Amino acid sequence: MIVPISAYLPEALALAGALLTFLMDAAGVRQRSVVGGFSVLFYSLALLSVLGDLSVVPFTLFATVPSSLLSAGAVGPIQFTPLGLLWQAILLSAALLVAFASLSEAEGDREVPIFYGLLALATLGMLLVTLSADLIFLLLSVEITGISTYVLVAYARKDPRALEASMKFYLIGALSTAISFFGASLIYGAYGSTALARLADIPPGGNGTQMALVGLGLLMVGLGFKVTAVPFHMWAVDVYDGAPDHVSAFLAAGSKKMGIFAMIVVFVAAEDVVYTASSAWALYVALGGLALVTMTVGNILALQQRTMKRMLAYSSISQAGYLLIGLAVASPAGLAGATIQAVAHVLMKGGAFLFVAAMATLGIGSRIEDYRGLGHSHPVTTASFAVLLLSLAGIPLTLGFVGKFYLFASAVEKPGLFVVLAIAGLLNSAASVFYYARVLRIMYMVEPPAEATSERRWTPAVAHLADPGNDPSAPPSSAPSAAVAVGESTPRAPAKEAARSLDPITPLSRSNLGMRLRDEVRTIGIARWTAIVLCAALTIILGIYPTPLIDLANHAANSFFSGLP
Amino acid sequence: MTTIPLVDLLSLSGALFALGLFGVLTRRNFILILISVEVIMNAAILNFVAFSLFSPGPAAGGIPGQSIAVILIGLAATEVAVGLAIVLALNRLRGTLNVAEAIQLKL
Repeated sequence: MIVPISAYLPEALALAGALLTFLMDAAGVRQRSVVGGFSVLFYSLALLSVLGDLSVVPFTLFATVPSSLLSAGAVGPIQFTPLGLLWQAILLSAALLVAFASLSEAEGDREVPIFYGLLALATLGMLLVTLSADLIFLLLSVEITGISTYVLVAYARKDPRALEASMKFYLIGALSTAISFFGASLIYGAYGSTALARLADIPPGGNGTQMALVGLGLLMVGLGFKVTAVPFHMWAVDVYDGAPDHVSAFLAAGSKKMGIFAMIVVFVAAEDVVYTASSAWALYVALGGLALVTMTVGNILALQQRTMKRMLAYSSISQAGYLLIGLAVASPAGLAGATIQAVAHVLMKGGAFLFVAAMATLGIGSRIEDYRGLGHSHPVTTASFAVLLLSLAGIPLTLGFVGKFYLFASAVEKPGLFVVLAIAGLLNSAASVFYYARVLRIMYMVEPPAEATSERRWTPAVAHLADPGNDPSAPPSSAPSAAVAVGESTPRAPAKEAARSLDPITPLSRSNLGMRLRDEVRTIGIARWTAIVLCAALTIILGIYPTPLIDLANHAANSFFSGLP
Repeated sequence: MTTIPLVDLLSLSGALFALGLFGVLTRRNFILILISVEVIMNAAILNFVAFSLFSPGPAAGGIPGQSIAVILIGLAATEVAVGLAIVLALNRLRGTLNVAEAIQLKL
């Protein structure tokens, strides 16, 4: 079967977006609205194409993957599967979300095209991962995203915190890549081929089986770094903390999902077919243990955090643990659950980090206490953030609940000790409510101190960086000095402090809701505001009416298993 | 023509892997860690070449091992290029490459 070139439309769009952005940089076109606008347009077209392929939207002009291709199996190192396409849509949504919300960031000079170009390259890698039918192709695609994101973390070159995050990310990433490839080489030795379909064959007896198992173990370590599974999670919190906020959103929402999908295609086939007979327990125990430890440790550490971003980073680790349940169970239901949870995770983590980014540009500090009283001063975004937190905790009527429900149900259905995973997941969900509720309490129940509203937003170390002479009437997105402040100080610096401080925070005196809402949209930026609210709205809509998503996930998961030999 | 036995090649690559991992865990200088990571990468590349000598050949499907080795050499070079860019930026900003001093993000 020959793959028509048009089937690669989403990948081509991502690549074209990257090249076009770098060309714009060379041509001196660096306005955020232009560069970012093109990125958003390209991602939207790509997403439309993928959704058309999945027949989610009736608009099929861009639906370019012939349905015969979806059941054709591997064509060389490429494979089009319903599951891959569904995850492609998930990953594209993450990229689109971040690219769109970044339109509200401050203008910067070369940083704007660099950001969007690297984002497009990282997206290209993620899209290629979903097409992989070959281990080497898969790892190379992971690496495209990896290298792009190492640079993306440090794209504000003057920021020592971002640079430190990039350094840690790079070292850990390079190590995990090397370990992954070493594992892949052992698998190549055992099977004589790196095609993923061969992992579902009976391994050659004797030494070959041992070698294949060691190779899979090393791959688990290498990919475990990418998904922040627990013994390999140390880098994640520092990186999410130090990276620019929108990059953190992309890392949590996008590249972590990519790692999960890579693990699915590598391990689920191997678990289901090969090792059911001989050494099934080794893989099951390893993945199950990874899931168990990841969610527990992530939650325990999240409980102790004092800054919002680190708390979200640890909660993101525990969320990775829930997703790993789906892999450990390795049944169609588990895979469908992981897919639903992945959709939820993109919305929740993407939206939450964007909210943190919005608050940072308002000059609100990074500690959790700094968020006190936000429910009064910024009612709509704070309510959206509250919804996202409730969804992270798995409260019913949110998508986070649906995803967790399916994951835990799949663990209960599967005979054996898998019920342990469900119980551990439930206990963890209950524990996680504590730290999410603490944030809710601070945002809604604690009044901001009436005096000193502007002082509390100024951390002494960075106060001098803000420019007090900024034009009061300038909307924040048009203040060019803000970019300099972002670049040179910590990401927590009150970049738009000037604009904010001149807009006196009088949450109780200004009772006019319309005025307050307009203020909120203006200070946060219309694109970012829309993105955050949209995340929360989708979380609720899909939480109340999840049937289409569940059908889609079930269909994709079933076809993945029926595609196995 | 005599060939080197597979066991010898695998022992060498295993030793390289162990050395590289040891280096990553014990070194504190960014560049030395980078070199150690590359040693692990080279162990993987050597493995691919070694296995391709003894594999059934392209009949097994997929990409042949020696091609993979060439691809990986390119990948390793790309990765080092990015790493050295980070080294330059770090050195300019902080004047040290000691990773143990990277403690700004710890609370």
